Amino acid sequence: MAVSSPALFGALSDIVGSSQILTDRAALAGAALDGIEPRWIVRPRGLEDVSRVLALAAAEGLVVAPRGAGSRAGFGNPPRRLDLVLDLSRLDAVIEYVPEDMVATVQAGITLGALAERLGEKGQMLALDPHGGRARTVGGVLATNSSGPLRFRYGTGRDLLLGVRFVQADGTVTWGGSKVVKSVSGYDVPKLMVGALGTLGVIVEATLRLHPAPAASGSSLVRVESPSAVQDVLAAVLDSPLEPDRIALFNSAAARRLPGSASGPALLVSFGSVEEAVKSQAESLARLAAGHGGRAQPAPGSVWDRLEEHEAGPEPIRLILGCEIRRLGHWLGELERLAAAVGAPVSVVGEAGNGVLRASLAAGGDGRALVRELILPLRSGLESEGGSLVVETMPARLKAECDAWGAIAPGALAIMRRIKQEFDPRGVLNPGRFVGGL
Amino acid sequence: MELTTDFLRALARIVGPRGVISSPEGRLTYEADMHTFYRGAPDAVVLPETAEQVLEVVRLCRRERVPVVPRGSGTGLIGGATAPVGGVMVSMNRMDRILELDFANRCATVQPGLINLWLSNATRPHGYYFAPDPSSQMVSSIGGNASTNAGGPHCLKYGITVNHVLGLQVVTGAAELLWLGGKAQERPGYDLRGVAVGGEGTLGLVTAVTVRLLHVPEGVKTALASFPSIEAASETVSAIIGAGIIPSALEMLDQAMVRAIEAGIGAGYPQGAAAVLLIELDGPAAEIEAQSRRIEEICRRRGALEIRVARDEAERALLWKGRKEAAGVIGRMTPNWLLQDAVVPRSKLPQIMSEMLAISARHGLLIANVFHAGDGNLHPIICYDDRVPGQLERAKQVNEDLLRACLALGGTVTGEHGVGLDKVGNMPLQFGAADLNFMARLRRVFDPDTIMNPGKLLPDHPACGEGFRPGPARLPTGAWV
Repeated sequence: MAVSSPALFGALSDIVGSSQILTDRAALAGAALDGIEPRWIVRPRGLEDVSRVLALAAAEGLVVAPRGAGSRAGFGNPPRRLDLVLDLSRLDAVIEYVPEDMVATVQAGITLGALAERLGEKGQMLALDPHGGRARTVGGVLATNSSGPLRFRYGTGRDLLLGVRFVQADGTVTWGGSKVVKSVSGYDVPKLMVGALGTLGVIVEATLRLHPAPAASGSSLVRVESPSAVQDVLAAVLDSPLEPDRIALFNSAAARRLPGSASGPALLVSFGSVEEAVKSQAESLARLAAGHGGRAQPAPGSVWDRLEEHEAGPEPIRLILGCEIRRLGHWLGELERLAAAVGAPVSVVGEAGNGVLRASLAAGGDGRALVRELILPLRSGLESEGGSLVVETMPARLKAECDAWGAIAPGALAIMRRIKQEFDPRGVLNPGRFVGGL
Repeated sequence: MELTTDFLRALARIVGPRGVISSPEGRLTYEADMHTFYRGAPDAVVLPETAEQVLEVVRLCRRERVPVVPRGSGTGLIGGATAPVGGVMVSMNRMDRILELDFANRCATVQPGLINLWLSNATRPHGYYFAPDPSSQMVSSIGGNASTNAGGPHCLKYGITVNHVLGLQVVTGAAELLWLGGKAQERPGYDLRGVAVGGEGTLGLVTAVTVRLLHVPEGVKTALASFPSIEAASETVSAIIGAGIIPSALEMLDQAMVRAIEAGIGAGYPQGAAAVLLIELDGPAAEIEAQSRRIEEICRRRGALEIRVARDEAERALLWKGRKEAAGVIGRMTPNWLLQDAVVPRSKLPQIMSEMLAISARHGLLIANVFHAGDGNLHPIICYDDRVPGQLERAKQVNEDLLRACLALGGTVTGEHGVGLDKVGNMPLQFGAADLNFMARLRRVFDPDTIMNPGKLLPDHPACGEGFRPGPARLPTGAWV
């Protein structure tokens, strides 16, 4: 360490003011990543503060972890080291919002909920609905590439982030993309920043594509008998002219929380359009489902707000399985089979039309059996056909047994390494947390 | 650049003797794309048939530090498929097969030389289509579409090519053959797929693409509305979007363009109007009905002279024919033209259209318009006559004035055509030194020896600042910027 701790505190105070540096025990413990506590939590006021803090960190060899709402603090592998948590929650302004353009530029620390309120006044929305999303920040949702059921119609943050202002590891303020809905000027830098977990730069401002909130919305719950029947109904919906905006899949355990008393898995489908089209599509869906062994019934729209309510217990494990759409039923079946074998109840809610399953389990006991007999074999099967299994949440003690991301194809990983090496050679930003130990 | 006999022999060993074109007249065929005046013949053209051959070609070129320029159908509008410093052009024409149609996963995997429209032709009988529809879709290739991140009228609702590419196989400038992305949509790691799409061959060559297929919508409705003024039409566009309706396409044509189309191919467009909007809705039939009523109301309130709805597929095709073949009739208006592709925020459309009239008057040159009004993507066609001394310079000035006006309103340099050679000098108007530097360094990650499509996309200037490493000495950097 080049400079003593008090001197660094002084240097950080010069940037953000001493009242915006937290060093008390409780705060530091609360900001820990996988049990590793930072030395300081720094709360910048704006872009310039972020830039100066990172320049200082780079010069002094400090390790920085950016933080939004902190809801995904345990995402990824444990950091190799941690000195400073950069808390972006004060950067919560809407910088520019022109409803007629359906574009908004916001600071990274604004929550999805606060933004939704502003946009709702104009009948618009940011079509990102990750579980537990309203309390999460735009920057955090983008950095973790979190998405929810709306991705079926609107895509992920990679489709919605038009422009991004970020601070590189050395403090350089950089802009990528544009502020209009259509641009091919240069490389699509925004896409690189989405899902990079802050390892290439700290997202400070985001220019977002917005959508009109549909005039009407209606949801239908389709109950089926088995994972393979889920696949049949899903295939029929996808192979039809129906245009749902969300298709969520629930396994039997998760489906028990849904309205109605029937057992078995379910698909929850919603349509957003004009009222006539919502109604006619729901009727078509009911016919389609009946033809494939499913029973459709209307469901209240509020069901969608409760997707994240599958608390698994004191030591939750959350997994994100990615596979081809046509293999969804298969992997749902595999997941349930392996979970039953280790005696772990599993609740699954997935974005069926995108080949995504989100599984919630409890570690139970020492949890290692779950890693060895469920997570690793499932991951290896998924990876063998181009899929993935990412650990979103897991007790820190189990992370030594299990990489959070799984294997990346060697060729692609080599390029990712070169990118990280180019833009953060000294490992200032979240070192070790990302894929391949980047 | 003179290629040695040994080098040409090595190329022939990779792609076979019939896969190499090195005669002067053969190479001349490849000296230009659809841009008006950029020229640059390659020193050799290769026509590989497999990704492995492409890899070997790049490996050889990398060893010998010879520039590599990719080429699909050569329909690009930015000089991107020209070889201003020579080198080897890799033409993808022979790699034109559909490798797999996978309807259960709503995707298809194709070779880069496959013609855009052929894919939709092959999938429509099964109820699917490929959404990106550049006006060149009858001839442009999907590899070229992915490489330039091409757009088209229907981007308004469905997004540009990158939104439809699930994965692509590339050969990077570092001579690596690999897949970026793939059929599984949820993937950890950096979004290399998103970076590679739109790379314009500066990061690597596309050797296969897995694209998303969309289900054919339940209904389509196409209408044409004519207006007494450009302002009225522009305000209508803003009002439609402002009403929360995203048509699948919302195109504007001005009077000059309509006249040329009618004289050229006769699409039945109303010639007296100052501006025409081509509006298409697709989706559930009930949605189309409700939205088209609303749009009609908006058009009437803004003073539409006439609203004509296509009654059947034949009429719909005719309405589109004029739009799709607009580029082909420009020759009726003017001997020479420059095409701009800047974008403005959609609410600024009325403002930029009136500024355009002023710019046109100031320089005394006709500007005709046919463009993607719904997303603010302008395509002013600046008409000039090369034979009249000074007109080309004036046309370039108009181009520059227009671009600056768009950027001043918060716009972007290029909405869908790409940067290529044409707009490389404009990039610093939109991006600062640090921003360009970031992109330049990203480029070197994929292309450490700066052999891939040199001179395109980014200004090759040391002005980009710290971290920018100059290319090898044998490429005359800066000479073509």
